[in-house]
Amino acid sequence: MIEVSGLTKRYGTFTAVRDLSFTVQPGEVLGLVGPNGAGKTSTLRSLAGIIPANAGRIHIHGVDLGTDPVSAKRQLAFFPDEPRLFEYLTVRQHLNFVARIYGVTDYAALAQPLLEELEIADKADQLPSELSRGMKQKLAIACGLLHSPRVMFFDEPLTGLDPLGIRRMKDSILSRARAGAAIVLSSHLLHLLEEVCSHVLILKKGEKIAHGTLAEISAQFAHGENNVSLEEIFIRATGGSEN
Amino acid sequence: MLGALLYLRLTSLKNITLSRLRRLKQPKYFLGAAVGVAYFYFMLFRRFSGGSTSLAGIPSSLSAGLGTTYNFTATLSIFGALVLLAIVLFTWALPKEKPGLPFTEAEVAFLFSAPISRRRLIHFRLAGAQIRILFSAVIFTLISRGWSFLGGGALTHVLGWWLILTTLNLHFTGAALTINRHIDNGANPVIRRWLILAGVALLLLVSTLSILIAAPSFPDGNIGPGDIADWLARCIDSGPLHWLLIPGKLIIAPFLAANSSEFFRTVGPAALILIGHYFWVARQEASFEEASIAYAEKRAARLARVRDGTYRLGQDKAKARREAFSLRVPGRSELAFLWKNLLGTQPYFHARVWLGCALLISIAVPWIVRSEHLKLGANFIITFSAIFSAYTLLLGPQLARQDLRSDLPHADILKTYPLAGWQIILGEILTPIAILTGLLWLNLLAQVLALAPMADTISWLTPGFRFTASLCIGAIIPVLCALQLLIPNAAALLFPAWFQSTRQRSGGIDMIGQRLIFVFGQLLVILLSLFPAILGAALVIFASQWLIGACAAVILGTLVALTILGAEIACGLWWLGERFDKFDLATELRA
Repeated sequence: MIEVSGLTKRYGTFTAVRDLSFTVQPGEVLGLVGPNGAGKTSTLRSLAGIIPANAGRIHIHGVDLGTDPVSAKRQLAFFPDEPRLFEYLTVRQHLNFVARIYGVTDYAALAQPLLEELEIADKADQLPSELSRGMKQKLAIACGLLHSPRVMFFDEPLTGLDPLGIRRMKDSILSRARAGAAIVLSSHLLHLLEEVCSHVLILKKGEKIAHGTLAEISAQFAHGENNVSLEEIFIRATGGSEN
Repeated sequence: MLGALLYLRLTSLKNITLSRLRRLKQPKYFLGAAVGVAYFYFMLFRRFSGGSTSLAGIPSSLSAGLGTTYNFTATLSIFGALVLLAIVLFTWALPKEKPGLPFTEAEVAFLFSAPISRRRLIHFRLAGAQIRILFSAVIFTLISRGWSFLGGGALTHVLGWWLILTTLNLHFTGAALTINRHIDNGANPVIRRWLILAGVALLLLVSTLSILIAAPSFPDGNIGPGDIADWLARCIDSGPLHWLLIPGKLIIAPFLAANSSEFFRTVGPAALILIGHYFWVARQEASFEEASIAYAEKRAARLARVRDGTYRLGQDKAKARREAFSLRVPGRSELAFLWKNLLGTQPYFHARVWLGCALLISIAVPWIVRSEHLKLGANFIITFSAIFSAYTLLLGPQLARQDLRSDLPHADILKTYPLAGWQIILGEILTPIAILTGLLWLNLLAQVLALAPMADTISWLTPGFRFTASLCIGAIIPVLCALQLLIPNAAALLFPAWFQSTRQRSGGIDMIGQRLIFVFGQLLVILLSLFPAILGAALVIFASQWLIGACAAVILGTLVALTILGAEIACGLWWLGERFDKFDLATELRA
């Protein structure tokens, strides 16, 4: 479970995220949306412990990220938009490295099925430079899933993927959610929200505009009209501009 | 059409100059520029202003040691021509496939699809190279100002350098086009290369034989290094090499001209060679596009790797390597970084290679120092390993960068690991510590073994003292390396924007200045950090040696130094770890 209360992130005098509070229960997928500069990435990076928040509390599976970051990080996995891989480590060596960092003792038994599930078992001895963009993404996912995280953060998870890769990524997110993981993803792609997310949080200029299930959000901005598209709802919610 | 191409070149030059001037508003670039200008001023202008420059020869202080019958300009002409010949031969022999012309990716995208003829593209390339050549000619002239044996003036030197560099550039272009044409006409690239290499080998063989047969006699009497160089030059300038060196000598001649009249006399033949090269290039009809695109892509990939810190010299593509040791789970997480970063180094950084080197040193050094025929061997080994150790300790941290500096682009991922900041910093610096420590330990072993014969003449250099001192130095080495490596890693964390800019291959005098500031800053911090440890150890050794003896005093002093340095490192790791926890590369670079 993810519990966020009063999260604020400032860069100098600029406030990127202001007093943000929400909860993501196990099995839920929260879509973080908003125009450019809304604070999505800052929120996600604060939640993953990459950058420290200026105010507020973040609990990852009951552990306070601010006071016990090491224990909190054991529970989470962060998937950046671009797979950040180590150039000189093969697929197998990446998993070995991550296993040592997270202390996954039975990693050999876990890694093989994971590689097979992600269809990169035959690439186990290849370097990232020998892999396609989709394969790299799969390796990054395998590394993130190896320690069986209960909380996952995806930043623009469909960037650079082909249609088949997009389909598999969506399935992967949904299957992890069904297995009980609490997931937050940020994306500009509204169709991803419709297909994958159980909840949506709309941000604008660092502040929460709306939060709820897709049905709740639709009801809030449809103003009684029927068959209002998600795109229209997004435009109405954000006022149709970044400012 | 050429007007548009010139516009592109000149506008790009103007914009890059303006952007570099504009960035001087930022203190880091202004400071860098000030240091860079000062450096060049003292290195290029002030350094030689006091030296005597005689037209005929080198400064009197130097000429005294060179010998009596010495003509440095003639010797330099021969060696210079030999270098040019070697460059030309490599130009023809090196390409394994079709060589590309050095276009950038943007030039390929905009110009190759534009309605521009091949000939115009080649001229664009040649004209573009002129800016770099002129700049290089000026810089080389400033550097060669100190060569006091040179005659002529600044203008003849600039023109001389321009002639040499332009002819070489034309030759590179002509060779690339010719090789492309031959391969397009069905020549096998591998056979072509082997034929040229065989020709070079044959030339070497014939030249060596002719030198052996007709070598001039070695000078007798009181000879200096100049006489040896002169004899060597006369040896080289014989047989078939004599004829092959003629074009090179003609091209170099204007640069070496003693005065204006000699310059005008020599510039004609050099210009003829240059013009001949130009017509050779301009009249060629060869398809260079495909090879040039491959070249541009390769160059762009290399630049990207330089920018993200993953570039390794002489290695364009990463290769999977054997692990230095097996990484078992569970275990200390810091060692995972050592394991990972060792995979990114050269394969010879492996325990088996280190042990092999240690064994070789243990056998070879005692044999050399005890050998009757190699009386200077011990002195040479001691001097060489002392210099190498000093360089390793001072410059090693700048070269061995398999630490946070390489992993900074991965900072986001590292920060999601369930590790404290100090653990990540410690883990990251373990690899360069291991590499530098290994090198320094091997040097120490060589020194200790080379010092053994001196124990016969120096009373206090007993085997016991040598053993104790080497153990103590051996214990200090990894700690010193750790301290040295904390500083550049701290710089990368504290000044990420500055650090990012200095590691890019971006030009400009301000960038040179920034790099100089980093090097001097590192030296200053290391001296300040070492001071308490040296002082503490010295006081302890001085105070205790009368009571407990030299060996025990050295051990006690080492323990004190290790404690102080260990405390400094622990504080540094803790502080840097805190800094890393709060670190956000994206924000820092935006600031």
